[in-house]
Amino acid sequence: MNNYDVIVIGGGINGLATASILSKAGKRTLVLESRNTVGGMASSMEFTPGYKCNVFNDTIKWIDPRLEKLLKLSTKGLELEQPEILKIALGENNKHISFHKKNSKTVESIARYSKNDSKKWEEFSSYISKLAHFLEKLYGLTPPSLPNAGLKEILGMRSMLGPISKHGTRGIVDLLRVAPMMMPELADEWFENELLRASIASSGIHHLSFGPFAAGTGYNLLHQHVHGNGVFHNAQFVKGGTERFAIALKDCAESYGAEIQTSKKVISIDTNDSGCIGVTLEDGEQVISKQIVSGLDPNNTFINLVGPSNLSPDFKTQLKNIRYRGSTARIHFALNNLPKINGVSDDQMKTIFSISPSIEYLERASDAVKYGRIAENPYVEFVLPSLLNSDFAPNGRHVLSATVQYAPYHLRGLEWSDQLKDQLKTNVINTLEKVIPSFRSIIKHTSVISPLDMEKEFGLTEGNLNQGEMTLDQFMFMRPTISSSQYRTPIKNLYLCGAGTHPGGGLHGTNGFNAAREVLKG
Amino acid sequence: MSKIKNYDAIVIGGGHNGLTAAAYLGRAGKKVLVLERRHVLGGAAVTEEVFPGFKFSVCSYVVSLMKSNVMRELMLPKFGLELLPLESTLTPLDNDYLIRTADADQTYREIARHSKKDAENYMRFGPAMSQIGMAVRPILETIAPNPIRPSLSDISATKKILDHVKSLTSKQFEYLTKLMTMSSADFLDEWFEYEPLKATMAASGIIGTFMGPRSPGSAYVMLHHYMGDIDGAFRAWGFQRGGTGAVSMAIARSAEHFGVDIMTEASVAKVIVKNGRAVGVALENGDEYNSNIVISGLDPKLTFLKMLDEPDLPSDFVSAIKNFRIRGSSGKVNLALDALPNFTCLPGDGHHLRGAISISPSYDHLEKAYDDAKYGNFSEAPFMDIILPSVLDPDMAPPGKHVMSCFVQYAPYHLNGGWDDQKREDFGDAVINTIARYAPNIKDIILHRQVLTPADLESTFGLTEGNIFHGELTLQQLFSLRPAVKWADYTTPIKNYFQCGSGTHPGGGITGSPGEMAAKKILGIWR
Amino acid sequence: MFYENKFTANTQLKLSPFFERTSKLNESQEWRRWAGHLAATSYELTHENEYFAIRTKAALLDISPLKKYIVEGPDSQILLDILVTRNIAICKVGQVMYTPWCDEYGKVIDDGTVQRLSENKFRITSAEPNLEWIESNSTGMDVTIKDDSYSTAALALQGPNSRAILNSASSKSLDSLKFFWMMDTTFKNIPVTISRTGYTGDLGYEIWMDPKDALTIWDILIDKGKTFGITPTGLHALDIARIEAGLILLDVDYISTRHALIEARKSSPYELGLGWAVKLKKKNFIGKMPLLNELNNNSGWSFVGIEIEWPGFEKHYRDAGLAPGLPSTAWRTSTPLYNNNQQIGYATSGTWSPLLKRYIALAHVKSKYAKEGSELMFELKVEHFRKLTKATVVKTPFFNPERKRSCPK
Repeated sequence: MNNYDVIVIGGGINGLATASILSKAGKRTLVLESRNTVGGMASSMEFTPGYKCNVFNDTIKWIDPRLEKLLKLSTKGLELEQPEILKIALGENNKHISFHKKNSKTVESIARYSKNDSKKWEEFSSYISKLAHFLEKLYGLTPPSLPNAGLKEILGMRSMLGPISKHGTRGIVDLLRVAPMMMPELADEWFENELLRASIASSGIHHLSFGPFAAGTGYNLLHQHVHGNGVFHNAQFVKGGTERFAIALKDCAESYGAEIQTSKKVISIDTNDSGCIGVTLEDGEQVISKQIVSGLDPNNTFINLVGPSNLSPDFKTQLKNIRYRGSTARIHFALNNLPKINGVSDDQMKTIFSISPSIEYLERASDAVKYGRIAENPYVEFVLPSLLNSDFAPNGRHVLSATVQYAPYHLRGLEWSDQLKDQLKTNVINTLEKVIPSFRSIIKHTSVISPLDMEKEFGLTEGNLNQGEMTLDQFMFMRPTISSSQYRTPIKNLYLCGAGTHPGGGLHGTNGFNAAREVLKG
Repeated sequence: MSKIKNYDAIVIGGGHNGLTAAAYLGRAGKKVLVLERRHVLGGAAVTEEVFPGFKFSVCSYVVSLMKSNVMRELMLPKFGLELLPLESTLTPLDNDYLIRTADADQTYREIARHSKKDAENYMRFGPAMSQIGMAVRPILETIAPNPIRPSLSDISATKKILDHVKSLTSKQFEYLTKLMTMSSADFLDEWFEYEPLKATMAASGIIGTFMGPRSPGSAYVMLHHYMGDIDGAFRAWGFQRGGTGAVSMAIARSAEHFGVDIMTEASVAKVIVKNGRAVGVALENGDEYNSNIVISGLDPKLTFLKMLDEPDLPSDFVSAIKNFRIRGSSGKVNLALDALPNFTCLPGDGHHLRGAISISPSYDHLEKAYDDAKYGNFSEAPFMDIILPSVLDPDMAPPGKHVMSCFVQYAPYHLNGGWDDQKREDFGDAVINTIARYAPNIKDIILHRQVLTPADLESTFGLTEGNIFHGELTLQQLFSLRPAVKWADYTTPIKNYFQCGSGTHPGGGITGSPGEMAAKKILGIWR
Repeated sequence: MFYENKFTANTQLKLSPFFERTSKLNESQEWRRWAGHLAATSYELTHENEYFAIRTKAALLDISPLKKYIVEGPDSQILLDILVTRNIAICKVGQVMYTPWCDEYGKVIDDGTVQRLSENKFRITSAEPNLEWIESNSTGMDVTIKDDSYSTAALALQGPNSRAILNSASSKSLDSLKFFWMMDTTFKNIPVTISRTGYTGDLGYEIWMDPKDALTIWDILIDKGKTFGITPTGLHALDIARIEAGLILLDVDYISTRHALIEARKSSPYELGLGWAVKLKKKNFIGKMPLLNELNNNSGWSFVGIEIEWPGFEKHYRDAGLAPGLPSTAWRTSTPLYNNNQQIGYATSGTWSPLLKRYIALAHVKSKYAKEGSELMFELKVEHFRKLTKATVVKTPFFNPERKRSCPK
C-alpha cells in the first residue's frame, strides 16, 4: 500500500470522526477496520433473517456539537429524532413514570405519584443541566498533564471560565459535591417517590459494574446528560438505525479523500527506537505511516498491538490497572407481534423503557457482579427499534432490544457458555414478563450478546462498552492512564482516539474530535 | 459550685476534640468552660468499668492518628498519655492465618508463605503509602478555604495547596487521585493477590463508614487510617494505657492545667443566640452561662439542628446540614473473659494476642457483611477488629482475667423494624458465633458481655446514628465541604459560634486535629 | 576451645540448610540478619583469622540467603536482555555475568549475577527479592520464573587454597575453569555446580547444590579442606574483603530505586562505577534511554575508592594523646567528605585493610572530584570531636591479585 500521513485503526465513531477531520485538514488518511463494516459501537446488524437490530446502542445521548459544525453531518444523511417521550420507567403494579421532552409533561407524570416530587422536578433537571454544562466545557479540552501542568495547558483551560461566570464558583462546588455521590444520596436530597428515585439512579449506573450505592455514580449520571439541553433522560434516535451515524461519518471522511478499508485486521503496530512507523495486517502486509491513531481500547492498542516488550514497566503497570469489567449484555428478540406493555398505550411505544422499580432492586442486581454471577432480577432497559425503522422487521413483526445489567465478564465458577446465556435470557424474559404479560409467547428468535462475545467479536476488552469503566479514578487526566491522557502515548507518533480516552464512552465523537486536534499539532 | 458565670469561651461536649480546643484556648490565656453531658469525660474516647474489675474503652479503642504536635504542645505525656504499641495484625482463617508484625523480615516471610509477589510488594506498599500520607498532610493541616467568594487568606491557602500538589511526583499524584476515588479493594488489587491480606488491609477502608471494600471511596478511608502518627512513625497503632478514656483525661488535665473549668453532668439544651450572635448556653436544668464565644464539639446535626433553632440559620445551610451524611454502621461488643481466647489457627498464648485481630478472611466476607447492612440487617457474619487490652495492660482486668474489645461492622442504625433488646442480643450472638468460628473456646470463657448497637452509641455518646466519625468520610464531605461549603473553617453562620468536632476538617479518629485547628482559627480571629 | 558451654535457643528468623553445622561452630554466637536469615557475623571471638583465611588459605562461607531465581523458556534470553544492562546474548552456556539492573529511569534496582545454565535456562542471584519485578516484565513472553532461593543452597569457598580443596573433593578437575565460568561436577557422587565467582576479589568459587545435600557437602569440604586451612568464615571478614575488592553492597553503598523514597537516594549504574556493565548498543533494555542521556551529559555523581592518608590520621590521634584508633571491623555509617569546607560526597563503607595496611573506603563523590589522585577531606571523630583528615581518590579494586583470574599452567 501507499505511504499515508495517518493510519486510523478501527472504523468506529471516533475513528471515523478523527479520519474525517484529519482528511479535511489535508492529511492522507487510511482507516483500517477489522470487521466487514464500519460502525463499531454504532453497528446495526441482521441478527436473524428479516430482523435487524442496533447491536449496542439504540439511542444517542448527545453528539459533540463541534463535530456537526465542522463536518455538517446532516448533509451526509444523518437525521436525529428526539422522541416525544424520552423514557418510561416501569414500576410494579402497572405504575410508570414517563419522561418527556417537555418538562411540564414529566411533571404531570410524576405528580400522579408525588406532588412534592413533581414540584421539584424543574429545579432538579436544571440543576443537573447546570452541572453537566461544566462537563461540556471540560469535555472539549485535552486534559492537562497533572500534577505539573504547564502555563499553556492551564491557559488552555480558560473555556472553563464560561460556566463559572454563568453559574458562579458555587456551580463548581456543586459539581464537586455531586460527581462523587452515590445515587441514593442524590435521590435523598430531592425526591421521595421510589420509582422516580430509581429511574434517576438508573442513569448513574449506565454500563458500570457498580450499583447505585457506589460513590461516583453521580459523575456517570452527569455524563449521560452532557448537551442534554435541560432534559433529563435525554436521548435521540438515528433515523434508519444507529449505523446511519457511522455511515454519515464514513461518507464524510471519504468525501475529504480518506481511504476506508474494511476486513483489514491490524495485528501489530510496528515501532523502532524513534517511535511508531506503521502497522502490519493479518495477511502480512505492512503499511507505513507517519502517524497512527488507534480507536481501539488501551489494552488492545498497547498490549496486543504494540506488544509488552516495547512498553516501559511503569506504563505497563498503568495499563494493567485500567478497569474494564464489562457487566452489560445485550439481548435482541425477534417478535411475532407488537408486545403489550402494562399501562402503556400503543402511541407511547416509541421510547426507551426501563425496569427499575426501586434503588434497592438495582443494587441487588449489581451485587451479582461482586460474586461473579449474573443478576437473577436484572436491570433491563429496552427499545422497540422496529417501530422507528420499518425495515428492521417484516411487516407486523417487531424487534425488542434489551440492555441488561448485570451480566459480568468476570465470573466465578461459571463461564459464558450457551447454557449461561440461556439462563440470562430466561432471567430477562422473566423480568420482562412482569411488565409484558406472556412476553414468552411472542418470541420468535433470541440473540444474546454476552460481554465475552463483545470481547471476541468486537474487540472490546472484557466486554466493556466504554473501553474502560466510567469511574472517577478513570476520569479526565487519568483516562486511560496518567501518562497517556492527552491522546498522545509514550510511543512517539501513536495517538489514541477511542472511548478509552477523555471524555469516555458514548456515541458522541468528542474523543475523536479532540484526538484529531492533537494529531494535527504533531 | 462557685464557678464564674462569664467565660471567654464555652465548649459544648467534653470529647477529645472539645477538650483539645479548650486546652489550646486556655493555653492562650482565655477563660474557658467545658460542659459535658455525661458523668465521664471523653465523648467517644472513654474508659468505663462496665463490670466490676473489668475496664473497657467503651467506644473508641485504639489511638493512631493523634497529632504529635498536639501531644507535645498540650504536654499530654506529663498528664498521663502512655501509648503502648499494637504490634501485629492477625487474620485468623479457617485452616490457616496471616499475621503481620512490626518486624519486616518476619512479615516478609509470613506473607511470602502465601504469596511471594505480595511479600515483595508489601515492602514497597508501606513506604509508598507513607509518602502519600506525607503528601496529604499539609492539606490536612490547612484550614479548609472557602471556595465561594474566597477571601485573601482563602486564596493564599488554595495557592499553597496547589503549589504543594504541583510539587508531587507524577506517581504520587496518580496514587493520590486513585486513593481519593477508588474502592480499597480495587486499589489493593493493583498491588496484591492474596485475598486475606487484601481483605484485612481493605478493612481499614470501611471502618466507621457505611461502605464495603468494593465501594468506591473506601480507598480514601484506608489512607485516612494510614496517617497514624504515633512518635512520628506513620501507620503505627497504639493502645492507651488505662484505655482511650485516659487520652481524654490527659487532655482534660492539660486543659485544667491551663485554667480551663470542666463540668460534667451539665447537659446543654441550647446555644443562646441574640441578634445573630452566640452569647452563651442554657443547660437542661435551666442554668445559663454567658460567654464571648461558644464552640461545639458535637457532630454537625447536633451542633446546628439541635443546639440552634432552624430559623436562626440560613435555609440553604440548614438543608446542607440536613443533607450531610452521617450513617451509623458499626457496633461494639465488649467482653469480660475468664481466660484468653484460644485461636484454632495459632493455639495458646503468644505475640499474636498483643496486636489487632481482624476477622476479614476475604473480600466476600466483608462484602456479604455489607450487603446485609445495605438492606437493613445487621451482618450475620460481621467484620471485626478485635483487641485484647488486658494483654497489653494487665490493669484493665482482674488478675488472670481479660477484656476483649470487638469493633463490629455492620450494624446499620436504620435496622429493619428498629433496634430492640432482642435484636441487640441477636446481634451480640452473631458476633460471638463469628468469633467462635476461629476461637471456639470463646463461648465458655465469657463472664459478661456488653453489646452496643449504633442506637446505643447514639443515646450513650450523643453520636448521631452512632457514627464514630461524625459523618461519612466521603469525597463530597471532605475539606472545604466538611460539614458544608463556606463553613468548613470552623466558623458557622452564627457569629461567635464555632465547631470543633470530627464533623469538621480533617475528620474523625482520635487526632485532636479539628480541636486544635478550630482553636487556632478562633485565636486568629480574636487577635 | 576450652569451655564446654552449650545452649539451645529459638528464633523466628529463617535458618540456612547449613545451620546445623554453622550454629555449632559459631563460638562467638554473633549473628547478623541477612535476607531474613540468621547469618554468622564471625565464628571465632574475633574475625581476624577468618579474614586471613580469605587472603591466605581458604574461607568457607554460607551464602544460602542470597536470592536466586530460575528463568527458563524460549524467551528467557530476551527477558534477561531487557531486564539487565549487560548483553546476555553473548553470555555462553556455562558462563556467568555480573550485572546491575535498572528501572525505566535508569536507576539501579539491584545487582547480582546471571548464570547461563543452558541455552534457555538462567539463574539470577540478587541481594533482595526480585521475583515480582522479573515476573511483571515477562508479560507476553514464553518463560517460566521460579524462585530458587530455598531450593538451592550455596557455599562460597574463597582464598588461594580454594582450588586445591575443590580438586580434592571433586570428580573433575577445576584447573581449567576460568573466572566467571561454571561447571557441573560431583562430590562423592553428589551433583554440585561450581562457579568461579565470589565476593572477595580473590581466587574463589561458589558451590550450588540441592539443600538436602547441604550438610554432606559441608562435611566433605571441611574434611578435604583441613590440610589446606579451610576456615568457616562470617560476614565481618567478608565485609573487609569485599571493600578491598571494591565491590558494592546493596542498602549499604546504594539504595534500590524500588525502595528509595526520594530521587536523591537513587543511583544509576554510572553513579555506582558500573558504567562498564551498561551496554548501550543493545537493542532495548529497561532504562536504556535515560542511561544514554546520562552518558552524553555526564553523571552528577561518581563512585570511587578513597584512601585515608596515614600521617594526618595518625597526627589527629597523637594530638589527643592516643595511638591511631583504627576501626576493628568494616564500618558502614555514611561519613561526609569535603573539599574546601564544602561537602562534596560521603563514604558509605570503609575498613582498615589488614593485608594492605591501608585505611580504605568506598565513597560517592560529585563527579568533579572523582579523578584519581583528587584530594578530599574525610570526617573523623577523635575522642568525641570531629576532625578533618586528608584522603585521596584511588583506583579500585584496592586489592587485585593475579590469582583471581589466572588458571594453573
